[in-house]
Amino acid sequence: MMPSQPAPGAERAPRVVGFVCDWAVATTGLTDAAGRLAAHPSVVVIRVPCSGFIRPSWLEDTLKAGADGVFVVGCPYGDCLNREGNYLMQERIEQLQRRLQRRKVEPERLVMLAHGLHDREAFLADVAAMLEALGRLSALAGTKAAPARAAAASPAGPAQEG
Amino acid sequence: MYRRTLTALQRFTLRLDVAINRVYPSDLNPLYYTGGLTNLFLFILVLSGIFIFLYYVPSLADAHPSVTYLTDRVPYGGLIRGIHRYAADAFIVAALLHLFRNWFTDRYLFSRDSPWISGMFMLLLGGLIGATGYILVWDERALATLSTFTELLRAIPAIGGAMASLLVGGGGLSEGTLPRVLLLHVGPASALYLLLWWHYIRIRHPKVWPPATWVLVSLGVVTLLAALVPAVSGTPAAPGATPGAIPLDVFFLLPFWLAGVVPPVLVVLLVAGLFTAGFVIPYVMREAPREMGVRHAGIAQIIDGNCTGCELCYYDCPYDAIVMVPTPHPGLTRAAANRKLLAAVIDSRCVECGICIGACPFEALELPGLLESDVRQRVAEAVRA
Repeated sequence: MMPSQPAPGAERAPRVVGFVCDWAVATTGLTDAAGRLAAHPSVVVIRVPCSGFIRPSWLEDTLKAGADGVFVVGCPYGDCLNREGNYLMQERIEQLQRRLQRRKVEPERLVMLAHGLHDREAFLADVAAMLEALGRLSALAGTKAAPARAAAASPAGPAQEG
Repeated sequence: MYRRTLTALQRFTLRLDVAINRVYPSDLNPLYYTGGLTNLFLFILVLSGIFIFLYYVPSLADAHPSVTYLTDRVPYGGLIRGIHRYAADAFIVAALLHLFRNWFTDRYLFSRDSPWISGMFMLLLGGLIGATGYILVWDERALATLSTFTELLRAIPAIGGAMASLLVGGGGLSEGTLPRVLLLHVGPASALYLLLWWHYIRIRHPKVWPPATWVLVSLGVVTLLAALVPAVSGTPAAPGATPGAIPLDVFFLLPFWLAGVVPPVLVVLLVAGLFTAGFVIPYVMREAPREMGVRHAGIAQIIDGNCTGCELCYYDCPYDAIVMVPTPHPGLTRAAANRKLLAAVIDSRCVECGICIGACPFEALELPGLLESDVRQRVAEAVRA
């Protein structure tokens, strides 16, 4: 680290949007009314009925819209309330990671997590680990501003609100 | 009270999962495969049961000697008999774990009642199969079990006496008795497979078998137990003698043991009450989703004009709630213009999970309570903030 010249990405905490299944980890008490995590204010949580509800295109568009990372939380594998939602989502995220890698979007920006209703500590630890990984990415990127946004947005044009 | 107890039990179940997931990778957690384990033990029971059936003679004089012959003289006969005994114990334990787990985690409600109801029938039949299995051995415990069984049946008002004489085959023991018991052992066991069809019918890709690791472990444990603690018969039944006390068997004979402690009519009432509760619980305890504090996103709706008939939602729906029908008219978008099929949602099967929405790349499905535009708006707010 060079103390005289701090890295531009190090000042701003990575902006992360998380989709959390209603039946996976309970976030009541962890977030404010807008879904912002108290422990990590740069993380906003959106509750969905099942992790399998999420269209991969929404994740892609979330990155295009300016998020540094996006994660999905489902129930523990094998214990999805809707039987298969988390496995389906895991596969969709893996495919999306491969697809976005061709556009130089690092797979670390798309994370699938699996935590049960009461696993708050493990969930927060995983979010912290993800933020740290994103911080390393932006440090690697150096002075380039928000590489994910630039790379993801350029081939497809500006994000369109559907 | 009921709800608070269930919440506590659900918390306990999930905490147990977390503890087990620390030991095993979460996709090997045995508690996630209680249904598959039950089915595995049923399969072991059928195979070992066919072997035993080949040697069993259902007559008063020959039943006990034929079982002894099987145990002592037939190569591996004792081992297979032991496997049959311990697999039965494991079957009922796994089935009850399966029941409690799905009860505590609310997985029997709303559109998910058919596995629950068919499971109740299977539990009832499972108990009958276990009890008749103990009678077939035809030792002292068998005789005591049979006489308690008839006592229990007689305690049922109106039809009890007739049922008892149907079971025994007349007023008292006769050569007709054991063939009937054998039929009541094998017949319901076959019926279990019919009920399993009902159990699975609304479930896409049911987890029918546990992971290979647990198949091998279960087989090993059952075989090891059978070898170390062989299943043996008691002294042959002497029909004239007064039946003694039944040695307690916690897996199947608990109601029979109870009948020796309290009047049989109470046991009948207890069993009837438990099963009635089991059959009505998905309906009477049903609260509206909103009262349960659960999102009520509404039944998934097909956007007709966008559907291309690609079948992705049909493959991903975990409850077979989506069917593909021949399209009555072409779709509106370019991708949908030449479609042959159109997706349709069967409302009664939809659990409102939204997995089909995630599966659809053509924006042809929506949950009325949480539209795609709602999600995009939430995302936009989140990113802007």
